[in-house]
Amino acid sequence: MKISHIIGNIYLEILLFVVGRALAAASRVSSDVREEVKRLPEGMVLLLQVLPSGPSMAIKKENGLLHYLGRNSGDRQPTVLMNVKNREAALLLLTFRESTALATAHDRILVRGNIPDLMTVIRILNLVEVLLLPRFIAKMAVKRYPRKKIRGRVRVYSRVLLGIG
Amino acid sequence: MKKNDYYEYSMTTDILHGTGSLRELPLLMTECRIKKPLVVTDRGIVGAGLLTPLLDNLPAEADPVVFDEVPPDSDRLLVNKIARLYRDGSCDGIIALGGGSVLDTAKGVNLVASLKADDIIDYAGAGTIAEELNPLIAVPTTSGTGSEVTLVAVIADHEIKRKMLFTSNFLQPRAALLDSRFTLTLPPHITAACAMDALCHACEAVYGLARNPFSEAAAVEAVSLIVKHLPAVLREPEKESGRLALAQAATLAGAAFSNSMVGMAHSIGHSLGSVCKVPHAAAMAVLLPHAMQYNMEKADEYIARLLEPLTGYSATAGTNVRSRALGAVTAVREFNADLRELTGGRHATRLGEILNREGECLIHRDRFREVAETTLGDGSIIYNNCELDFDEILQVLEQAW
Repeated sequence: MKISHIIGNIYLEILLFVVGRALAAASRVSSDVREEVKRLPEGMVLLLQVLPSGPSMAIKKENGLLHYLGRNSGDRQPTVLMNVKNREAALLLLTFRESTALATAHDRILVRGNIPDLMTVIRILNLVEVLLLPRFIAKMAVKRYPRKKIRGRVRVYSRVLLGIG
Repeated sequence: MKKNDYYEYSMTTDILHGTGSLRELPLLMTECRIKKPLVVTDRGIVGAGLLTPLLDNLPAEADPVVFDEVPPDSDRLLVNKIARLYRDGSCDGIIALGGGSVLDTAKGVNLVASLKADDIIDYAGAGTIAEELNPLIAVPTTSGTGSEVTLVAVIADHEIKRKMLFTSNFLQPRAALLDSRFTLTLPPHITAACAMDALCHACEAVYGLARNPFSEAAAVEAVSLIVKHLPAVLREPEKESGRLALAQAATLAGAAFSNSMVGMAHSIGHSLGSVCKVPHAAAMAVLLPHAMQYNMEKADEYIARLLEPLTGYSATAGTNVRSRALGAVTAVREFNADLRELTGGRHATRLGEILNREGECLIHRDRFREVAETTLGDGSIIYNNCELDFDEILQVLEQAW
């Protein structure tokens, strides 16, 4: 395997880990994210993975909050599945050069599951990207940077780093 | 991998186009290896006398099973029920004769029957079908939906008041048979609304987030055909060449949006359909100019490309480049107004003008919040160029009212 591929895979592993933890944290500290999470059914399990055998991350909704499950959903069947078709497409998405919407429009993501839940998950991912990233990068990662301030950035970062919820 | 240079395009449906193309049905069935078809249609088609010529053209030994009770708002429970009919009748293929509801229902039935599934809901979303389905021959009767060539099926779930989207290359019918005899009896106001549905497919294919050159080529041709032939057909409904041109336009637009998907006009339109039972085509006619205007912020360059097929070369050449997108929006509004006049006021140009059979308004403004909430969960919203939140959907609905 080329060294660039190894570095790319490590980057994707780290990013998916951070995004997974940030989703869980944001559902606790951001009222905007909580509003969106309300739309998801209890027990929803999202698995986001890079094909053919790349890194992955899973979250579930339980007691009104998102929980990071780790690299996979274990014995829980995913109800929403987002498969990024290949490593290059995942790098475009997770280096935030392409929004989730554009990646989907460009056929780089295969989705499976309840479409309304998927739409909600994409909106939550957008909010988390806005929370995690500097404005000039986040503007590339979402269709439109939110007009109103999305609060909770410091607390999300703290929780991601400390591994709280 | 470069940003923005990747797309996929799939079009696997054989098209048999022309007056009298129904004659090709027996040979087509042989090629598709259909010996015992399930014919799916609706009561309106039977009442208009369109089922008889189709049955008359089946091979003598075909022995079809006929289901002729697809309602305008068919749903997943009906799809599951018809699939059982398919299995019980030992059918080996489907012939779908009708408009969007019939064609999408038939696609759903084919999915459930081919995969021996219990409930179509298990296959909602994209990329859920992993194998080829049984052959399906689509015979459209409305010149609007484009479903005869698309990889999409939209099927309602009345229990959750939502339209579910199914997308897979395997959902594309094996063949589409476009014969003008099947659209000749379509009333003028329905002809107009269906053609506007096709126009909406074409326009959203051109400026949507998943636009691609193949879709754009088909879409631009579809727009030209609709603008040229629809008014003529409304003036002279039995004009076969015009009817055939509209059928061709709808199929071209179908091929276009099947690969570039659609945007907010459809997201809101699907929701108006599931919440207020608004006919899809009527909603599309009203919402298209609003959707185009909303997307001008990010997609004016692509919307501007629609001006020439909408108004012709001379008018476009005489319009400042920066004004062309707005010119295209205005052209669609004016086209809608013309259609209202040509249909004696039956073609709706505002949501408040969409009426039921009793002449009552189908949409109540107090349901707009429910419509907006449903729109946020519609799969097509992701393909819209500009972001659209709850309040903005409400604003668009109010503007369209």
